[in-house]
Amino acid sequence: MGESDYSFSLTTFSPSGKLTQIEYALNAVAAGATSLGIKASNGIVLATEKRMSSALMDETTLQKVALVTENVGMVYSGMGPDSRVLIRKARKNAQTYYQTYRESIPVSQVVRQIASVMQEYTQSGGVRPFGVSLLVAGYDYEGPHLYQVDPSGSYFAWKASAIGKNMVNAKTFLEKRYSDDIELEDAIHTSILTLKEGFEGQVTANNIELGVVGDDKVFRVLSAAEIKDYLGEVE
Amino acid sequence: MSGDGCVAIASDTRLGQQYQTIAMDVPRMFKMHDRLFLGLTGLYTDTQTLYNLFKFKLSMYKMREGREISPETFANLVSSTLYEKRFGPYFTEPIVVGLDKDNKPYLCGMDLLGALACEPDFVTLGTSTEMLLGACETFYRENMNEDQLFEVVSQTLMMATDRDCLSGWGGVVHIISKEGITTKTIKTRQD
Amino acid sequence: MNIDLSEALDTKYGRSGLSCEVGPDAVELGEEHVLTIPNVPRPDKFLSDSFKGQEAEVLKFAHGTTTLAFVFKHGIIAAVDSRASMGVYIGSGTVKKIIEINPFLLGTMAGGAADCSFWERDLGRQCRLFELRNKERISVAAASKLLVNSVSRFRGMGLSMGTMIMGWDKTGPALFYVDNDGTRLKGNLFSVGSGSTFAMGVLDIGYKYDLSVEEACELGRRSIYHATHRDGASGGIINIYHVGEDGWTKISSEDSAQKHYQYKAESTEQASAPMVTS
Repeated sequence: MGESDYSFSLTTFSPSGKLTQIEYALNAVAAGATSLGIKASNGIVLATEKRMSSALMDETTLQKVALVTENVGMVYSGMGPDSRVLIRKARKNAQTYYQTYRESIPVSQVVRQIASVMQEYTQSGGVRPFGVSLLVAGYDYEGPHLYQVDPSGSYFAWKASAIGKNMVNAKTFLEKRYSDDIELEDAIHTSILTLKEGFEGQVTANNIELGVVGDDKVFRVLSAAEIKDYLGEVE
Repeated sequence: MSGDGCVAIASDTRLGQQYQTIAMDVPRMFKMHDRLFLGLTGLYTDTQTLYNLFKFKLSMYKMREGREISPETFANLVSSTLYEKRFGPYFTEPIVVGLDKDNKPYLCGMDLLGALACEPDFVTLGTSTEMLLGACETFYRENMNEDQLFEVVSQTLMMATDRDCLSGWGGVVHIISKEGITTKTIKTRQD
Repeated sequence: MNIDLSEALDTKYGRSGLSCEVGPDAVELGEEHVLTIPNVPRPDKFLSDSFKGQEAEVLKFAHGTTTLAFVFKHGIIAAVDSRASMGVYIGSGTVKKIIEINPFLLGTMAGGAADCSFWERDLGRQCRLFELRNKERISVAAASKLLVNSVSRFRGMGLSMGTMIMGWDKTGPALFYVDNDGTRLKGNLFSVGSGSTFAMGVLDIGYKYDLSVEEACELGRRSIYHATHRDGASGGIINIYHVGEDGWTKISSEDSAQKHYQYKAESTEQASAPMVTS
């Protein structure tokens, strides 16, 4: 820093002690499509709405749930392009970790590293914070983990959480539905039901997306056909 | 050398320049944590540098991840650290020895560039590596208890160093078991 | 370069105009014991080229050594270690490095074991012939000169020896240093081998002409012990010989490992003993 024309951080305190840029970033998240995650006893499910701005768009080419490494995946709410920067960095970090230790990266480390990147963008010159919140899910040596990471760089582990446009309602719904001994299959059903709450229009296999990791420690984005089956089960 | 739920690492204590003996109280094994040892043969300045480097890396690892590194992961860390200096290597050949979370012995040797050679029974490195290997082949038995392991490792070390001009002048044996670490020094020839 | 050695090595030493006989009495060695050298214009150059690189291991077997000898009031003390190393490998820990040439002559061995033992045995033969011809024992000076003459013929051909020839003759005790370069030095105190510097350090401090036999033996022993301790290529047994008016006697043969713990015990005893103030 220091050499660019904008060597000061755009994220500056307001007199009341708030970082307005971060608040705005959170607004961007709140405007984004809803995503949610549920930690089950034997795995985790990530779910998100996949709304197209036009019926003419080819929804089969859009994938919002991304794989970080074999056993860790993540989903975002907010600005898609911003999330891709973070995914790229997360994947690179995960591979670097594997190169060093020949051991897959624990979920906590993926999250810690993404969060520190996001924090840097709140304090560095010439950049703006990321307009995304992330849900990171993975299964490692300790079991399943679900984390939420916000534009400020703060992160927490959750049993179930939701981000995006419908997050408040979704969380209320999840609070009611969640139990500690929930199984992965139930969690998938719950995630679909949660998305259905406040969904504009009909939920189809093409306008939502699911990512699942079970105790086989393999994170998988479900195909439209699989989602269709699950939709049939919850009807 | 591995035993049943225990594992041993031993080295002589000579430090020399060519044939000249500089010091006789210099073991080359370092405790990395309660269940993990690192042995570093070769150029002593690199031994010291690498020990400090790995001590640093492990402290960082422990703080970052909130857990002790497993022997296998540590071996891979040593390996990748050494390969980083592929074109100007540390002149040292490390041994990683420890017990994993199931109390299973883990042993691994590598060359100065970090090529891993993991063995289930024993690993030898240093100036008397061939002689140690021969002695290990004769004395090693499977599933030895701590006492047997100590006896075999000590005899092996003494036999081999007594045939090597550049080794000996005392020896140290560490036995790692789930109860903890036992360290014994062995009295050897002093020539 | 590809050299056909078959013909060269077949050529018997002593037949080509370029080579020479083993000592003045080549016949005595018998047909099997004739030394062969390569039949080429410059055998020394040929040998040094052929064995370049391997020299250390092939030709300098038992290079690591500590030997010492010194003249004092009651004769000569010779002290040696017993380690034979091939590179860093200890080939043997019980080599006899003091060669008993005859009852009045001793030679020490440093460098190539084979070279030392062969040429000192050959020296014994020559000395015996001298005795038979002259009806008196050979002087140490003459004996050492015979050895130099022998090895000088093979200069530059890879012989490796650093030896001390000592004995008692009409002039009293005499000590000579002889090596493969043809060096021959008379002196009162020598130490030869890779551990010689360590030994010399101890020897020089403790040396006095007026030492008793016991003191002198212990000085030699200590010097060798310290060399075995500090020099990787020296070790094993410490052998001590004394040369007196009536010829040499073997004083002792002790394991340096035991000496170490004995000396250590003695020094801690001394350290813990109360200081005597006058």
